[in-house]
Amino acid sequence: MADHRFSNILLVGRGGSNSGDLRVHPGGIKWTSKGGKAVEVDKSDIDGVTWMKVPKTYQLGVRIKDGLLYKFTGFREQDVSSLTSSIQGNFGKTPEEKQLSISGHNWGEVDLDGNMLTFLVGSKQAFEVSLADVSQTQVQGKNDVMLTFHMDDTATANEKDSLMEISFYVPNTNTQYVGDETRP
Amino acid sequence: GSGDSRGAGKSSSSLIAYKNVNDIPTPRDLMILVDQKNEAIHLPIYGSMVPFHVATVKSVTSQQDNRTCYIRIIFHTPGSAFSPLDANFSKFQGAIYLKEVSFRSKDPRHISEVVQQIKTLRRQVASRESERAERAT
Repeated sequence: MADHRFSNILLVGRGGSNSGDLRVHPGGIKWTSKGGKAVEVDKSDIDGVTWMKVPKTYQLGVRIKDGLLYKFTGFREQDVSSLTSSIQGNFGKTPEEKQLSISGHNWGEVDLDGNMLTFLVGSKQAFEVSLADVSQTQVQGKNDVMLTFHMDDTATANEKDSLMEISFYVPNTNTQYVGDETRP
Repeated sequence: GSGDSRGAGKSSSSLIAYKNVNDIPTPRDLMILVDQKNEAIHLPIYGSMVPFHVATVKSVTSQQDNRTCYIRIIFHTPGSAFSPLDANFSKFQGAIYLKEVSFRSKDPRHISEVVQQIKTLRRQVASRESERAERAT
């Protein structure tokens, strides 16, 4: 299997995005920014791969076995099929397709997978946050769960407005998290 | 269809911000943005702009502390006083709600603009929805 190289691929994460080059090769995935920042994922560490159509472009999600998720955007539609076959051939993983919620609704469900907390609206992804960045979790009253994020300046350097806190209302009628309050 | 009058497709029980992924704005800077035309507020969460229909917003406040500024957006949830989304809530029993988000900002002027824009947009949408409700009775 030949290498696949893509330029101007953004690594998207908390605090914004960085542009760089992405290389998919038989041993794994490597992204390098112009400033020399690099993300390397060995093929044996890849847990799952996803595609999602996002505004103007496509986003590749690479979940690794310790629960972290790397998100890369900047792919064209024709890149999706060629990269999908390359990922299947090199890593034996078939990318799953995710959909982005654009309805603007604030009710849905919460999915926890590894370190990622995903808020889904109508089974489509509205947003996701990493629990690795959460400094404090508080249950307020009977129904509210508040997450507070670490606010160090390096994490938020590339954005003007930075997420500090987020809270969810879990009604008594929710059956997904019944009994959570009895956990230590 | 294209012959619909403005907003005719938006009944209060199905407030939809966007229909097409490519209609979501992709600003160069990651910051809170108000899209008047689509009646949506975009929040930068983990490098993506996440839209919320303005009708889901219950209140917005800001606070300044030296050179840092904070903005808090509270969304409608079941059990909060009158909400334009009550009809939706009864349909989605058991759903989890995003209740509140807080952001820290480096730009107080931008935050006060955003707060004003959200308040104005909320008023516009609320008065249109109440007119619609009156016409319906």
